[in-house]
Amino acid sequence: MPHFGDLEAAIMDAVWSTGEPVCVRDVLERLDREPEPAYTTVQTVMDILYRKGWMTRVKRGRVNVYEAAASREDYVAGLMNEALAVADDRAAMLVKFVEGMEPGESAALRELLNAAKTQGSAR
Amino acid sequence: MSAALILLAYAALLAFAAPRLLARGGWTARAPRLGIIAWQAAAVSLLVSAVLAGLALVVPTVQVSADLANLFRACVMALRDQYATPGGAAAAAVGAVLALAVLARAAWCVAASLAGALRSRARHHGVLTMVGTPSVHLGAVVVDSDEPAVYCLPGRRRRIVVTTAALRLLDDQQLAAALAHERAHLDQRHDLVLAWSGGLARAFPRIRLFTRAHAETLRLVELLADDVAARSADRITLAEALLNLAGARTPAAALGAGGSTAAERVRRLIVPHHPLGRLRTALTFTGVAALLALPIIGLATPIATAAHLHYCPPSAVSAAAATR
Repeated sequence: MPHFGDLEAAIMDAVWSTGEPVCVRDVLERLDREPEPAYTTVQTVMDILYRKGWMTRVKRGRVNVYEAAASREDYVAGLMNEALAVADDRAAMLVKFVEGMEPGESAALRELLNAAKTQGSAR
Repeated sequence: MSAALILLAYAALLAFAAPRLLARGGWTARAPRLGIIAWQAAAVSLLVSAVLAGLALVVPTVQVSADLANLFRACVMALRDQYATPGGAAAAAVGAVLALAVLARAAWCVAASLAGALRSRARHHGVLTMVGTPSVHLGAVVVDSDEPAVYCLPGRRRRIVVTTAALRLLDDQQLAAALAHERAHLDQRHDLVLAWSGGLARAFPRIRLFTRAHAETLRLVELLADDVAARSADRITLAEALLNLAGARTPAAALGAGGSTAAERVRRLIVPHHPLGRLRTALTFTGVAALLALPIIGLATPIATAAHLHYCPPSAVSAAAATR
């Protein structure tokens, strides 16, 4: 099976930016890709996205109409939840740059840091 | 039997003493890589000695012989002797259960922790491909979000993720330092060490050595990645990057008595860095080697003494085999 990862993302982008139900033709018009993908390719990928749960599909007359299952913001929020709430027992999955800090803690460290910086520039 | 007792005593001593000894003096912050190795060596030593103790109960001490065939026959005879008595058979059964249970539980939990990480990572990758914008210039995927975050997904499809909120909080040098920190995690595959120590901690949550080893490894991989990042970035710049990002969020979990790891890292980057001296490094390495060798020695000593006893000479073995 060919890999459609790139095209999948581009199609979802187009669907999200429209913000309303679309058919394959609408998406094809909005896709700004070189070379322009074939109608059937876009249709195939949209069916894949539907089956993967990214889009809903309803038949209107003879045309399939697609809509994003959830907004882009919802997906991002899901990612951030996962990224920031990952507990210690799942640290093998992803590694954060830094955990959060209490406000008092960070204020004290900021002072320490500024002192070190002025000391460094005085030297 | 004596080998099993020695090994069990050693395991008990290790489980009790190692967490206290290794946590003493805070030397691990000065040599995080060595600290990780020492904690893992202690954990492996405990695991191996428990499994070997079980095996020592199953297989009675036999004469050491250069000739493998002789050794095997001696083994058979000693086994027959042991299993002839009910006590011997019971001890062997207990030993087999101990060795198998410990091995199976450890292997299962480590495998589950690896598989779980792979699964949730694949899901995360899938969503990321849809909503993120790869930046060749940063070597990272940028996600449009008001949550300031920088993190990495280790593995074959390694990716670093930066949110737009984090980009606003960090200047170019601070961002470079943060990315260098994440690359260190990815290059050195810290996720594998964490999957291993996390698996052990989950397999035996009552054994403090395993849970402490995991907690310490979590902390030390961060210090280690900071040290690697500080080779290409200024330590103060890295400290500022940490502070800018950490200060923007309150911690999800309650803090331990020692304060957050984030605070420790910032403090450690501000004060001049003193790596562990050569002598102490060498001494610690010797300790690590001892940790790994002791279970083997514990098993080998009774075998070696048995070799001098000649309670089971090869001639007797062959005679016994002939009469069957």
